[in-house]
Amino acid sequence: MHRNLPITGQQAGSNSALPLRPASQVMQLERLGSFHQSRLSFMRTLVRHMMAENWQITSPVFDLDEQGYGTVVYQVEAKYGTFSYVLFSHYLDPENRNDRVIANQWDLTMALCEGAVDTAQIEFLRNNVPKQEAGRVDSRVLVLSRANRSARTFEYVVNELTLGRQPDVDVIAEVGYLYRTTAAYGSGKLGMADWEKVRTKHRDFARPFAAEMFTCYMLRHFSMQQADYLASKRSPEGAVSLHEDIKRYVGIGNSTGLGMAPFLINHPLLINQWIEMRETALARVVAASESGVDEATLNRLDVATQRVIQHLGEIITADERQNSSNMLVREELQLMHLWLQEQGAELANNHYVWADLIQYAEQSWRIETQEVINTLLIELYPELVDDLEEQMDVDESQQVTPEMSVAQLIEVIEEKYDWALAIDFSQYESMGSFWYRSQEKMEPRLGQTNIDMGMEKEMPLAIGRLVRECYDRLCGYNQIRPQQNVAHFIVHNPMYSGIVARIQTMAQSQYGEIRENLVHSDVLPIHLLRCKLSFFGVSKFDPRSRLWVRNTMFQGAPLISDFGKPFADDWQFPIKPVLTSG
Amino acid sequence: MKVSKNELLAALKKAFEGLGFQPGDCQDAADMVVWLQTHGFDGFGRLQGALAYLNTTAPIHADLVQEDAHHAVLDGRGSSILLCGSEAVDLIRSLVVEGSWAALELTDCYNRTFILQRLIKAAQRNLGFIAYWRQQDYCVKVSIAAGAQLPEYQTFTMTGEFDAQSLRIFSGADIDVIEHQFAQQLEFGEFLETFSGEEMMDCYRDSVEQGIEIDETLWRTLDVLVARILVESTESSRAGAGD
Repeated sequence: MHRNLPITGQQAGSNSALPLRPASQVMQLERLGSFHQSRLSFMRTLVRHMMAENWQITSPVFDLDEQGYGTVVYQVEAKYGTFSYVLFSHYLDPENRNDRVIANQWDLTMALCEGAVDTAQIEFLRNNVPKQEAGRVDSRVLVLSRANRSARTFEYVVNELTLGRQPDVDVIAEVGYLYRTTAAYGSGKLGMADWEKVRTKHRDFARPFAAEMFTCYMLRHFSMQQADYLASKRSPEGAVSLHEDIKRYVGIGNSTGLGMAPFLINHPLLINQWIEMRETALARVVAASESGVDEATLNRLDVATQRVIQHLGEIITADERQNSSNMLVREELQLMHLWLQEQGAELANNHYVWADLIQYAEQSWRIETQEVINTLLIELYPELVDDLEEQMDVDESQQVTPEMSVAQLIEVIEEKYDWALAIDFSQYESMGSFWYRSQEKMEPRLGQTNIDMGMEKEMPLAIGRLVRECYDRLCGYNQIRPQQNVAHFIVHNPMYSGIVARIQTMAQSQYGEIRENLVHSDVLPIHLLRCKLSFFGVSKFDPRSRLWVRNTMFQGAPLISDFGKPFADDWQFPIKPVLTSG
Repeated sequence: MKVSKNELLAALKKAFEGLGFQPGDCQDAADMVVWLQTHGFDGFGRLQGALAYLNTTAPIHADLVQEDAHHAVLDGRGSSILLCGSEAVDLIRSLVVEGSWAALELTDCYNRTFILQRLIKAAQRNLGFIAYWRQQDYCVKVSIAAGAQLPEYQTFTMTGEFDAQSLRIFSGADIDVIEHQFAQQLEFGEFLETFSGEEMMDCYRDSVEQGIEIDETLWRTLDVLVARILVESTESSRAGAGD
């Protein structure tokens, strides 16, 4: 690897003036689909808070039968408030085990509630939580969720523990979890507390998706507690508990489908905020290397790089594309490892060495490798990055700027939406797909134009096409009525008010619009899913098709028993544990 | 039953889509209903009144019939503020920005109380608004200072001639100046009542804390409208979800 490349950015001294990567680079769908979790991911932030604030979690109700079915209530004493995690464990015929949103039975159903719960509330929850979408809860509930057992690992782990043995780590590694969650609903769905209430009343969960992530974390805790419990019931004398190092390596499985995709399109200001914070973190890191990088930091990068190489090598996926990508990323990271080994001493004095590295990666390596490196660099400087976790929320209202001239709006589109204008919508493939909501639980689906039913009920997610249509109408209008403003345009063309509000609002932000034709025949929605999941903080992406992906949550994270102990916050990119005694 | 604000917004947006509203109109109309309901202005009752009309006709917007540097007249063509409120407020905003003050009349329109939400949102852009309209046998006047989060809402007895279905809006940077400038048009009869900001905020806080009470019949009505935008599920369509 050549290291004497010119520095790309003219780094400024103050963070406010830091050069961020351009949207034309960052907002390409393939790059968004190559993001990995970072220190700003919601799971990472949550774990940092739980550890530092030493949340106390007890189980005042642990009422499971010999089969592990029944009710459990965990009481959570967080820094600012008390919460209850109420879980119902049910028998589920394996034939009815289905991860799709259209399922109506699950092994576990759970609710995260504010405050302590009494018997009456538990009964209310028992009558509604197991029904999920078919039930109703109230504003005391923050999150509703459900989960299914892994057919491959759960019984295997319980049997091994029952026989007094630890399960084979390789078997755990192949799956990564004992349960997988198929949904975690918050934000006021089904009568739950609004995000506004959570944000303003419950500081412990006042960051996006913090309560949803906590619900999954508690599921992980229960999954291992239940396995231990069942083993001890089956063999009171001979059973052992799951080894703590294996417990830390057990995560929660997750299946994510198209339901997540419209979120990214419908919340452009929020997505802008998340990505801007991530890019700000990266820019701060680059600026930190202005005067070189000390040896300890270089060593930490090298250790982390080797860890990612191992992590990627341990991922098992049947998806050829992902497999190939993992292999190539490992090879490229190996080159980076060699570079750090061979030239580390010299690099310590290089100005803006991280800018060099980023530029080299962009010129030489695949996008996924570039984004792994960016994540690793962000990881090196918690003191520069972690304060950004409190800036992941934003007011999402969009508004028309009516006094803007039509000519000016045309210029705005040409400047900010050049990517949309570059799409040739006269090509059949450019409109080969459409998004719609199914009668089945309003599930978003992707149809093929002129083949599948429902095109007349298309969801307005084809932002590029909507911008193009608006632009064409604006140009025609401006020819007939030059000098008029946007208010007049909308009065004469009210059908465009929504897209005009979006264009004018988003033009004031850098990121937020995904620069891709999302109705192209060959669109890969899985990139959308992976982008959002990276901000959640998941790992081990295992695409099952271009429409849904399996992954693991909290794999490698500390256990509840670790709360309050010294914490290195280095559980990202989990690798197989080497068991120690205990 | 109780619903959350976010759940209600989502349901309303889809219901308005089922009525044929365009995406921007769906969002604006849903925002108007939710704001009124959560601030104590019987948004649901007014929505039910509006649905009786909206369910029988394609969406209609207002026509611009007259305009100069400071004045505009829109013909609402018998439509609802849920559909033409945004364009009216956007138009007067553009006039004020260019001319420092403006007056707008929207004729032949219904459900005018919904305009409150649009005016509050517009006031966040440092514009003040005064609006009035006839409501049955009395007159409603709302005043919103630039940047204010809540309106001053007052009712008066009628004096003089008031078009039964018109809405008048005056705007400028300072509502005291506007009040003075349009004093003749803002002369009403005897003061009847006001709805205080504290009452609005109490209602809002309760909505956020406890959820919003909604009649199950209305909720089912929204469900029926939402169903219009859903596509029948088939084996083939399940493939479009990853099966």
